[in-house]
Amino acid sequence: MTTYKRVNQFTKVENRIVANRRCVFTAVSYLAVAILSVNTAFVRSVILGATASLIFFVINALFLAHALFRKEDDFFRLMFGVLLLIMLLGFVGWLIMIVYNLDALRFTLTLVIVASLSSSANIRTKYKNAT
Amino acid sequence: MPLSEQRSTKLLRMSEIIYMCLTALSFYLLIMSRTGEARTVWQVLHPAFIPVLFVATFFLLAIMFSSEKTTNKMLFIIVYSIFIHSFFPIVFPAGDNSGQQMILGQIRRVFDNTIIHGLSGWPSQSLQIFLVEMFDGINLQAALSVIFARMLNVDIFYVHLFFVPVLWGVFIPIASFLTTKTLGGGEKASVLSSLLVSAFPYATYFGAISVPNSLGFIFFFYSLCFMLKYLASNDSKTAYLMVAFSLFSFLSHYLTGIMSFSFIFLAVVFKAYESEKRSPCVIPRASLIVSFFLCLSLLPMSFIYLRFVGSITPVFTIAKFQELPAEEIAGLLLVGELIYGFDLQTMLLVVIGPALGLLWMICLLYKLEKKPTAKFSTPILFLFAAFMVVLIDYRVLKLLMEGLPLNEERLWVFRDFIAVPFVALAICSAVSSVNKFLKARHPSAMFLTRLRNLSKRNVLYVLALLLTLNVLIPTVLAGWVTYSLRAAYPRIAPLQTTWYELEAVRHIEENTEEKYVVIGDVWTIFAGEVIVGIKNPRAYYFGEFNKTGYDLFLNMTQDPSPQWMLHAMNYTDTTTAYFIITEPRVGTEEYNRIVTEAGTRLPIYDVFGEGKLHIFYYTK
Repeated sequence: MTTYKRVNQFTKVENRIVANRRCVFTAVSYLAVAILSVNTAFVRSVILGATASLIFFVINALFLAHALFRKEDDFFRLMFGVLLLIMLLGFVGWLIMIVYNLDALRFTLTLVIVASLSSSANIRTKYKNAT
Repeated sequence: MPLSEQRSTKLLRMSEIIYMCLTALSFYLLIMSRTGEARTVWQVLHPAFIPVLFVATFFLLAIMFSSEKTTNKMLFIIVYSIFIHSFFPIVFPAGDNSGQQMILGQIRRVFDNTIIHGLSGWPSQSLQIFLVEMFDGINLQAALSVIFARMLNVDIFYVHLFFVPVLWGVFIPIASFLTTKTLGGGEKASVLSSLLVSAFPYATYFGAISVPNSLGFIFFFYSLCFMLKYLASNDSKTAYLMVAFSLFSFLSHYLTGIMSFSFIFLAVVFKAYESEKRSPCVIPRASLIVSFFLCLSLLPMSFIYLRFVGSITPVFTIAKFQELPAEEIAGLLLVGELIYGFDLQTMLLVVIGPALGLLWMICLLYKLEKKPTAKFSTPILFLFAAFMVVLIDYRVLKLLMEGLPLNEERLWVFRDFIAVPFVALAICSAVSSVNKFLKARHPSAMFLTRLRNLSKRNVLYVLALLLTLNVLIPTVLAGWVTYSLRAAYPRIAPLQTTWYELEAVRHIEENTEEKYVVIGDVWTIFAGEVIVGIKNPRAYYFGEFNKTGYDLFLNMTQDPSPQWMLHAMNYTDTTTAYFIITEPRVGTEEYNRIVTEAGTRLPIYDVFGEGKLHIFYYTK
């Protein structure tokens, strides 16, 4: 019973995030990027960094999972989303590093690009499903 | 809920609690084993660690064969997998020596913004070399590690050491699960395969070190998984994902990338063959055979092409056949490098999994021969062909090529990934056969209370079968997984980076304001790499293969005078030079001589490790 409730709760949270009404979760994702950026440059707190990273990861991994792996089970969908997000972070970071470097400013740029790509993939899927 | 179900749920929860307690205890024992001076993990592991880990694995297997939800089973396996791949960073102060420390030394340059345009750097010798180096796997790993270090706001040292063990521990069991599922394996076989990946020593070793090749293996396994999905479906998204994972595999390491792309080629040919195999024409079958040989040649040929872009010159040769005795050649053909000094137990641990996988593959193919229209015939045939490609390529690289930039044994990880699902399918098939046999012959055995109705001989027979199912099989599997660690983590190794080498490097870094250069042996360079990076213009450590650095160290050991330190300062445009000498690295006698001679000509900067490490310095 507890497990069922937990799963149900997870699905509810997931649905709410991927529904992304008025782009609230996209905004939260950008806010997490802003926090990560400020933290890297000034605050330098591990706890703040870990919390903002978790928020960034959950939102964007669910966006990507929703866009590409809707047919998979909950757990595998989430894990695929995380893996894809890591790949996207790696690819964009790699490109930016090759173009110049990965200092604090370009690190922020990497996160903004990845957040924007994930969010647009989710929005695209949402509209595709609606039509 | 019926009473029996309640009882089994209670038993399951108890098993889970025991498993979690045992895992926590193993973790505690591993932390207790942490040391600042050791050669191998086996030297310092707590004596109770392996027995506790064995019991934890036994309970994990019991949970896996239970009716627990798949998600929960996978979570338990992921925790276990991360744990057994983290021995190096937990036990040693700077992880495993050499490879991953060299990578960290390079990555730190990106983290410290001392380099632009990636690790290849610009301007490069030529545009061609820049383009090739751009795709060097270290760049992708550098980007990922730096992003994670900045996100979590921790030093790159910690992110790098745990990066691959965590990523491998999380994603490899999932890839194994999905691959087995795509092959038609049931839920239990799929879960079992995700644990059995840890029973393959080479795979475990690559999951324990943070090098680009390990990252490439992770993406390779996913590309393989999507290749199987591609063979089983007509979804274009699956094809894109298969290519995307292969591309990432290539960006991580060229070996995994080339293998991924050659398998994609094979998968595309198999897909085409699938639609045409019923035609009486021989062309589909012939094209399949031709493609197999083409796929086989891709890896060796790619090494040959390396000579156009780098200084390495791999060549095809039959010199080994001419030089080596016949029995050595036969040994190399059969078990590869294992013939060189590896004991029988290690050989068995490395070979048994793939051999079992191959046997079951052949068995399944034999069964499919009777039912060619069976659902999973193409994916199984494809994996068999891929397995053969790896086996043959390994022998070609080992016996017919020379001057390769890597050791051929890395191919064994591909072989292991392909074999794992089949091993799991074989075990589950054996278990279900015993189960079916028991149910068919002695239905009363399902209820122990009814055993008294049977004759004494039958009771013994049923009990033996029940014991095999519930105790023997989990014990053997748990023993296999635990014992494989023996072959996964090296038993012979040089002294790992010690705490006092790291302390010395840290001390210099924290207390020197001007630019400095450090002259030391390769072990000092490894320590320097993990703390300040390689070729850092402010804190200069020569590279491991730098001839100038090596010559300077050699000169200092023979004639420890300021002239070599001045030479090093002029060479690196620095104003202070340090000379580090460590007792365990050069031997007590040599160490005492160098320290005495250097002490008369150079001031001592500091001493670490209760006199085992001396630092001398000289300023302009």
